[in-house]
Amino acid sequence: MKIREFGQSIAHVDLSTGETSIRPAPQEWVRKYVGGRGLGVRYLFEAGPEVEAFSPENPLIFMNGPLTGTEMSMSGRWACVTKSPLTGTVTDSHQGGWTAARLRWAGLDGVVFTGRAQSPQYAFIENGNIALRDASEIWGHGVHKTVAFFQERYGAQDLSVCAIGPSGETRGRFAAWVNEDDRAFGRGGTGAIGGDKHLKAIVIRATRARSEDVDPEQWRLVRREMLDHIRDEKNITSPKKGGLSVYGTNVLMNVTNSIGALGTRNSQGTHFGERAEKISGEFVEENILVHDPTCHACPVACKKEVEIKEGPHAGLRMESIEYEPAWSLGANCDNDDVHSIAKLIDQCNDLGMDPIELGNVFSMYMEASERGWLEGLPALKWGDRQTMVALTEAIGRREEPLGDLLAEGTLRGAQHLGHPEIAMVVKGQAVPAYDPRGLKGMGLGYATSNRGACHLRAYVAAAELGVVAIEADPLAWSGKGELVKTFQDLHACGDSMDLCKFSSFAQGADEYAAQLTTAYSQSWSGEDVMTAGERIYNLERHYNNLAGFGPGSDTLPRRFLEEPSTEAGSKGHVSELPEMLTEYYAARGWKNGVVPPAKLAALEIP
Amino acid sequence: MQVKLYATLRALAGVTTLELPLADGATVRQLAECLAEHCPALAAQIFEPSGELSRRVHFMVDGRNSRWLPQGSETPLHSRQTLDVFPPAAGG
Repeated sequence: MKIREFGQSIAHVDLSTGETSIRPAPQEWVRKYVGGRGLGVRYLFEAGPEVEAFSPENPLIFMNGPLTGTEMSMSGRWACVTKSPLTGTVTDSHQGGWTAARLRWAGLDGVVFTGRAQSPQYAFIENGNIALRDASEIWGHGVHKTVAFFQERYGAQDLSVCAIGPSGETRGRFAAWVNEDDRAFGRGGTGAIGGDKHLKAIVIRATRARSEDVDPEQWRLVRREMLDHIRDEKNITSPKKGGLSVYGTNVLMNVTNSIGALGTRNSQGTHFGERAEKISGEFVEENILVHDPTCHACPVACKKEVEIKEGPHAGLRMESIEYEPAWSLGANCDNDDVHSIAKLIDQCNDLGMDPIELGNVFSMYMEASERGWLEGLPALKWGDRQTMVALTEAIGRREEPLGDLLAEGTLRGAQHLGHPEIAMVVKGQAVPAYDPRGLKGMGLGYATSNRGACHLRAYVAAAELGVVAIEADPLAWSGKGELVKTFQDLHACGDSMDLCKFSSFAQGADEYAAQLTTAYSQSWSGEDVMTAGERIYNLERHYNNLAGFGPGSDTLPRRFLEEPSTEAGSKGHVSELPEMLTEYYAARGWKNGVVPPAKLAALEIP
Repeated sequence: MQVKLYATLRALAGVTTLELPLADGATVRQLAECLAEHCPALAAQIFEPSGELSRRVHFMVDGRNSRWLPQGSETPLHSRQTLDVFPPAAGG
C-alpha cells in the first residue's frame, strides 16, 4: 500500500451503461481538497449544483482519505458525498468499521457512481478492480441479511459489506448506508441515492496491507506521538480510562441533562430529570453492556455492544447505543426505556435509516398527535415505544399511509400536517442531541452547517463542555462566531483526511499537519490544515449558494429562538442566533450566508 | 450537602451519591476538598499536583459549571442546590 499514491485510483462506475474505469483524481484536487469529504465535494461540484438529488446525474461518491487504512490511529474511515434528497444541499457522511480500510487494501481510493441501473446491482471490489454484479436475489432484504448473504457467498474472512436496506430501496429520504451490520453513513439520506440508482451494496475483499513508501522511522515516531495523545489519561479518548472509551458517546446523557441542553418532547423541554439516568451510558455500562467493539486502528473502542435479556426484546444483541439515538428515540420522545431504544437502533441499522431523523419524525408526530393536528391519521402518544417499533418497520418499508408519509422526513411530514413549525430542522434536516438554548455555540453550528442541522460540522461542544484546551461558556453567545468557524475548518480538514472526529479530543491542527507531512513527505503546517479546511467549507457553501441556499437559510427552528428553556442550567435562555450569525459571517467574510467572489478567489475555489 | 457523581468518577468512588458534612455557605473549593477527603480515589482527579483544582473535573451548581459563575470556585453553596460532578465528556 503506497500512501503517497493516494488519489491515483478512483473508480468511476456508470450504472446506466455498466462501464467502469479507474482514473487518478486531478493532482490539484488532492492537494487542495485532501481526500475524503473535501475531494468528494470537489467531484460533486464538478457534476453541477443544479442537478436534482434523485437523478442519474447526481453522483454518489465514496472516498477514502490519504491516511485511511494505514497504521495511523483512528484512520479507518471514509466519506459518502452526494446531493442530499432530504435537504437539497451538499451532504457528506462518514463511517467507521473496516470497509474503508479494506477499500484501500483492495487498491482503490474511492468510487464515484453515476447513472441508474436497470436492475439491482452490487459492486464487487478486489485486487484493484471493480465489477457490477446482479443483486436481485438480495434486493428487498435488510442490511443484516444482506451482510450474511455476501459472507456466505464470498466467505466472511477479509470481507466487508456496505449496504442499503429497504429504506434506501424505497428512497426514504433519510435512508443510510450501513457497513459491518451497524456502522452507518447516517445522515443526509445517502442510502436513498443508492436506492434511486439501484445500487444495493459495495462488497470488498482484501487482506490487510501495510504502508510501504514512508520513511519507516519517521512514520513510527509520528504514529507513536499521535497514539500517545490518544492514550493520554488527561484525554477522554484514553483507552479504558477516558469517559468516551469506557461509556461510549452516551457518556454525554447526564451532562447535557444537567446543564439543560437535553431536548425533551420535541424540544419543548430541555431536561429529562432523573429519567436521563435510565438511558445513560452509565446505566448501559452497568446493566446491559457485553462488549466494546472498535474500528480499524482505534484503541478507543467507543462502540458499545449490548444484550437484552428480559422483556419484549429479550435475546437482542446489537451495537451500538450511542448518545444521539439514545436522545432522539429516548428523551426526545419521552421514552426512558433503554431496551426499546436498543431495538429501535437495531431496526434502523437493518432497515438502513438515520435514527436521529427518525427520532425527530416521531417527536414531531407525537406533538402533532397531542395537539390534535393529525387529520384522520392514527395518533402516537409520547413514549409509546411499542408503536414506535411497529411504525419504524412501516417507515423503513414506506408502508401506506403513515410509513410512506413519515419516510419523507421530519419537515415534509410536518408540512403535510400543516404545521412546519413543529419540525425541529435546519435546511430540512433534523436537529441532533444538543439543545441550542443550553449550548449556544452548538446552535450556531447547526444553523451554519452546510448539510443541514448537524452536531459534527463544528462540534464546539468540545469547548463548551470543557473537553479541549479552548474552553467556552456554553451560555455565552459572544465569541461563538469565530469559535464555530475555527472548529468547522479544523473538522473539514479532519473529515477529509478522513480521521475519526474523536481524534480532535486529543489532537489539533498541528497534529493533523504532522500526520499529513509524514504521509506525503511534504511539509504541512497547522495553518495549512486550517486553510484546507476553510477552502473545503467554502466550496460546500458555494455549492449550496448555487443550489439556491442564501440569505435566511442559516437559521434555527423558532422554538429555540423564542421559547425560553424552563429547566436546569439553561433556565430562561433562548438562542441569540442573530447576534452570533453577525459575528460568524464577519469571521467567514460572507455576506448573509453567501460566499462573495473575492473570497472564492482568495481560496482558489473554482 | 448531597453531591452526585457521574461516569468515571462514579466508578472510581464506587458510589453514585454522597452526603458530605458541609454547611450552607461552603464553597465549591471546600466541596472539592471534602470530596477528595471522603473518596481518596478521586483526589488525583480533582486536584493538580500543585493543589489547584483540575480543569478535568466539572462542578455543576444547578446545572451551571462553577468555572463560569462569577465567583468560580469560591461560589458559596447551599443544600437546596443540585450539585453534580462530572469528568470531561463528549462524543458524537
